[in-house]
Amino acid sequence: MQRYMKIVANIDKEPVNKETVIDAHNISKVYNPDTIPVYAVNNVHLHLLKGEFTALVGPSGSGKTTLLNLIGGLDKPDSGNIYINGVDITQLSSGELIDFRLKNIGFVFQSFNLIPVLTAKENVEFIMLLQGAGRSERDDRIKQLFRQIQLEDKLDSRPAQLSGGQQQRVAVARALASKPRFVLADEPTANLDSQSASNLLDIMAKLNKEEDITFLFSTHDQRVIDRARRVVRLVDGKIVSDSAAVATEHA
Amino acid sequence: MMILMMAWRNIWRNKMRSLVIILSIALGLFAGISVLGLYKGMMKSRVRNVIDAEQSHLQIHDPGFKNDYEPKFILQNGSSLLKTINALPQVKTASPRSITNGMLATASGSSGVQINGVIPDLEYKTTQLKAKIIEGKAFDPARKNQVIIGKKLATKMKLKTGAKLVLTFTDTAGNLVSGAFRVAAIYRSDNAPLDERNVYVNISDLDNLLNIPGAFHEIAILLKSDEDVGPVQQLLKQKFPGYQIENWREISPETDLMVKTTDQYSYIIMVIIMFALAFGIINTMLMAILERTREIGMMVALGTTRVRIFLLILTETIFITITGTPIGIAAGWLVINHFNKHGLDVSGMGGEMMSSFGFGTMIYPEFPIDKLFGILVIVIGTALISCLFPAMKALRLRPSEALTR
Repeated sequence: MQRYMKIVANIDKEPVNKETVIDAHNISKVYNPDTIPVYAVNNVHLHLLKGEFTALVGPSGSGKTTLLNLIGGLDKPDSGNIYINGVDITQLSSGELIDFRLKNIGFVFQSFNLIPVLTAKENVEFIMLLQGAGRSERDDRIKQLFRQIQLEDKLDSRPAQLSGGQQQRVAVARALASKPRFVLADEPTANLDSQSASNLLDIMAKLNKEEDITFLFSTHDQRVIDRARRVVRLVDGKIVSDSAAVATEHA
Repeated sequence: MMILMMAWRNIWRNKMRSLVIILSIALGLFAGISVLGLYKGMMKSRVRNVIDAEQSHLQIHDPGFKNDYEPKFILQNGSSLLKTINALPQVKTASPRSITNGMLATASGSSGVQINGVIPDLEYKTTQLKAKIIEGKAFDPARKNQVIIGKKLATKMKLKTGAKLVLTFTDTAGNLVSGAFRVAAIYRSDNAPLDERNVYVNISDLDNLLNIPGAFHEIAILLKSDEDVGPVQQLLKQKFPGYQIENWREISPETDLMVKTTDQYSYIIMVIIMFALAFGIINTMLMAILERTREIGMMVALGTTRVRIFLLILTETIFITITGTPIGIAAGWLVINHFNKHGLDVSGMGGEMMSSFGFGTMIYPEFPIDKLFGILVIVIGTALISCLFPAMKALRLRPSEALTR
């Protein structure tokens, strides 16, 4: 762990005593274990500190989404452990996982991300209602989040009335609504034009910088990779390179 | 609150599909309510027939009379009994009758009949005998030995008004006696089997032949209100313990049974209709859920508990159901009310058949308000049961799989 801390410190030029957010040990996920086993994720170690802005890259089928699902507690690994804030989520029941996700993890999915029957505001409020937040707390947070995603004038629009880029920005606001420990985004720019993708990345980067929010996103969009401060490359379910490690070597 | 809002908006995502299922629920309910209303109207008219045109509310006999209809079992102290009954404020009319079973014979054939000796004016009031006459004239006080027979018997025996016939029966001493009578009138009621069996003669003519002058076997009592049956029966039983005092349910248990079983039939019909509808609801909800697999997966991923997902689906099903319910009930109410005022003529479907069961051909359906609660319970129950399968399907979704669809 000390080694990783050092790595991050070198890259970000930030203090070394940052808290660990994600600590995945030897995690593997195998499909068809009894017939033709396919290792979607193969013995992966990943360690993320608070405030990191990390891209998980790799060709299609390299295991990016599976790895994100495992870290997000949407799926269970066949072996290994995943500690989030010291809690081994592989040991939680599905009911406990739902609660854990609600309180600790923000999600941004690739597409069809919002609940279509709710307005932009209601989509964000939905998460806070699940958490049991009070009226004034919800109103304040919604105002703040929509200011941050620059969509204050779209509060009452339904998803269908928003552009793809605007929908993804609302999804980012929703992911942050529960004040999670980190945000997982699965190819958030995949369906966006370059201007919208750039806007979204600006907002995510700004939130990361100003509010120290940890982002882990999968992508194969070079523009996104260029904006990431750490790039983890996956091939056939294995981490083949990690810019954090490279940075350490250079250091 | 959010779940209620989401559920309501969700059912309007596919307007056509939701409208179709809402309308089928409305139509099913309308059909169910119409059948219940029709049954209620039929049963009510049957009961009214039994009370107003056949048996009256209460009947009094000598305890031995109904075993064999032997003419010797006259009502002892009949006149004072009749006087006491007529003095009761709840009593509308009381009609004394002499009754015996005998044989009606014409030149061409014979038929077994029940001969009712009646006081015409009282009988007209108790069983509406005069109103039922379709041919000829009512009893003429100046004439003796007149008989009024039913249409079915008249047809069977090829009798017309003015025709002569012979009634043969035994008197109180067991002697065979006969009397020649002339058909004064032919009546038709809503109950063909009774029309075939009952003939009416003047009580004095029959009493003379039976050799029981001034006596009678039965008092039929028509009350002012149906509610008084129990109390008046109780009162009479206390006052006159030596007589057999029966209410219409006891005299005509088949009518009571019919009313009760019809109630059960109506519920069974309702359940069958709802059972068919349940598949429609299941199909709709299943489609709605399969279409939203990804969305539901996303909601679970974000931290929505399975209980909340279940509640959402349940609420959607209930919304669909209760949107259709008032439409169905209102349509049923309107149609039933229309026919309640104007009557539903079912003679085209077979008046013979209806009358052989004791029903008139005009039915006045009545809105089954007393069964509305039961109907609502069945409808909501159907909605609950119908949503279980789709909901299970949704609850089994694994978010990581659902999100990839």
